[in-house]
Amino acid sequence: MIDAIHRKTFEAMASRCEIKLSAPDALTADVLVRQAIEEVQRIETKYSRYRPDSIVSRINAAAGRSAVECDSETGALMAYADALHGASEGLFDITSGVLRRAWDFRHPQLPKADVLEPLLALVGWHKVDCGSDGVFLQQAGMEIDFGGFGKEYAADRAAALLIDAGVRHGYVNLGGDMRFIGPQMNGRPWSIGIQDPRDPESVMASIPVSQGALTTSGDYERYFELDGERYCHILNPRTGMPVRFWRSVSVLAPMAIAAGSCSTIAMLKQEDGLNFLNASDMAYLAVNDQGQMLYRDI
Amino acid sequence: MTSCDNNQQPNQQALAASILAAALLLPGLQVHAETPPANGVISLGYLDYRDSQSGLDRIRVHAPSISVMAPIAGVWSVSGSVVVDDVSGASPRYHTAISGASHMDDNRKAGDASLTRYFDRGTLTVGGAYSTEHDYVSRALSLQGSVESESHNTTWTAGIGHADDRIDPVNHVVTNERKRSTNFLLGVTQVLTTNDIGQLTLTHDEGEGYFSDPYKTFDNRPRSRSESTLLARWNHHIASTGATSRLSYRYYHDSFGVRGHTLGGEYVQPLSQGWSVAPELRLYTQSAASFYYDPIYDARLGAPFPPGYNGSGYMSADQRLSGFGAVTLGLKVSKQLDKLWSVDVKASAYQQRGSWRLFHEGSPGLEALRAQTIQIAVNRQW
Repeated sequence: MIDAIHRKTFEAMASRCEIKLSAPDALTADVLVRQAIEEVQRIETKYSRYRPDSIVSRINAAAGRSAVECDSETGALMAYADALHGASEGLFDITSGVLRRAWDFRHPQLPKADVLEPLLALVGWHKVDCGSDGVFLQQAGMEIDFGGFGKEYAADRAAALLIDAGVRHGYVNLGGDMRFIGPQMNGRPWSIGIQDPRDPESVMASIPVSQGALTTSGDYERYFELDGERYCHILNPRTGMPVRFWRSVSVLAPMAIAAGSCSTIAMLKQEDGLNFLNASDMAYLAVNDQGQMLYRDI
Repeated sequence: MTSCDNNQQPNQQALAASILAAALLLPGLQVHAETPPANGVISLGYLDYRDSQSGLDRIRVHAPSISVMAPIAGVWSVSGSVVVDDVSGASPRYHTAISGASHMDDNRKAGDASLTRYFDRGTLTVGGAYSTEHDYVSRALSLQGSVESESHNTTWTAGIGHADDRIDPVNHVVTNERKRSTNFLLGVTQVLTTNDIGQLTLTHDEGEGYFSDPYKTFDNRPRSRSESTLLARWNHHIASTGATSRLSYRYYHDSFGVRGHTLGGEYVQPLSQGWSVAPELRLYTQSAASFYYDPIYDARLGAPFPPGYNGSGYMSADQRLSGFGAVTLGLKVSKQLDKLWSVDVKASAYQQRGSWRLFHEGSPGLEALRAQTIQIAVNRQW
């Protein structure tokens, strides 16, 4: 009765996405994939900062004025954001999105201090109240966003939905953040390539994965170069400046949201990121600014 | 510089671990019950246990439990199980000849978790367990590793564990008592032929603290106990009929003076259409602890009045420390429903009597203890 691997690609969360799953026939595969995509779209609609009706946009619009009531899922994500803020010693801060206003990666130009400073004043997780009446941003102009882990959360949720539906083989890939449902049909792991951070056409390593999740953060998706220096889109919430040191950090963890958070925190911690990765008990592969590969368990 | 790093290291570790812990709290995400590759098992069991003594219903336990074991991300596996028992019934009587059962109503909460790291030719497992009743808190940590020979025919296992219990009985016979024990395990498993596998396991347990039963009067046991166990097992597969026999022998010895021998045998015979039957027989005999005293029945004062005094000050009338023999008979019938699902029912009867003790006379004056257990389990294999 079972099964063959079916594959479906789609666009969501501004990324190229792919789902591979085992199903007895194309029709069943279609139904399952549609449910998974709907779950991804539900999360995108609910939390996108680009949609004015999303809960995130409503919280941001009410900044400095009033608390916005939120449901238990949003509350759980806020609690997760709080845990990340603590685990990263303040570096992973979901209020730091405002800093993007100072950086336009299409033009190689450093922001002026008088642009950056007022934005830095709007950053601060401690200025977010999560109470019984909802979420309140204390200062007008403040913003939160779940971009730092929303895609990974969606990958985990979509995979959980497919697992619940009885799927035993396959994975969910949302723009490179991958959550695995199970190995290939023959029991062998999937072999997943890691993109070379300096050559978009090639793969620098590959890794066998059957379970858990694999995510990669890097300095190569959005960046510009100026005077031989690379400025990437991952910004330090204290200085407002792009992080340096790592070209790419890939982490293998039981869940995509945990893997993604660890790879981002490693990027944010720069040199100290290696200590963090070593302490995290997760498998990783990281490439530093010298092009050296550092890895464990893969 | 270095001292700073040293301070930072465990801190970093805790911070990193907190991410996974926080992720586990998010709604609708699964980490456990996901597709383990070849051999993950989830089983839902229901245990109904009843024991009786001369017609009195004593203890009944209903324990719905669910346990999962699933490898994750290739190199790690998380396993955990949570059991909540309701225990309601009379506590075992002070010698079974006397009436005066106290009522027991414990609500036990327990959980355990372990993390296994897989290597090419071995595993390393770290585990923790926590269990609490309203008068008892138990915490345990364990570390166990195994190494396989290059041919995969021999596996050596070694482990160490530590448990720390706190005892605070409701009758305040003692308060805030503790019991600490450390245990060691050494084992070897050897594939003998294509149809035979043998295993030898040696365990040793050193304990210190409160071993007495606070709910029994005249119960005073030594504050240290060392126990050793040798377990030998031999599984044999009979290729012509597809059956498997499992034989085991266990020798137990402790510093209380208890020596026990257990001989067990089980025979699994697969039948057609997914059915299989497995009869089981277990014989047990043990000597009494050195400070166990027999009940004495006084015609005038009633029974029993413990003389107890033996010079050491230690005494116990706990039936489990008496000399006795016991027989367990069981039958398990299981049916494989399809590739994934199976159901099994196991019925067993247990009877223990002082007079059944082998080699020596058993403890007199105890009534036979009988127990019947019926266990139903539904298993799903991926």
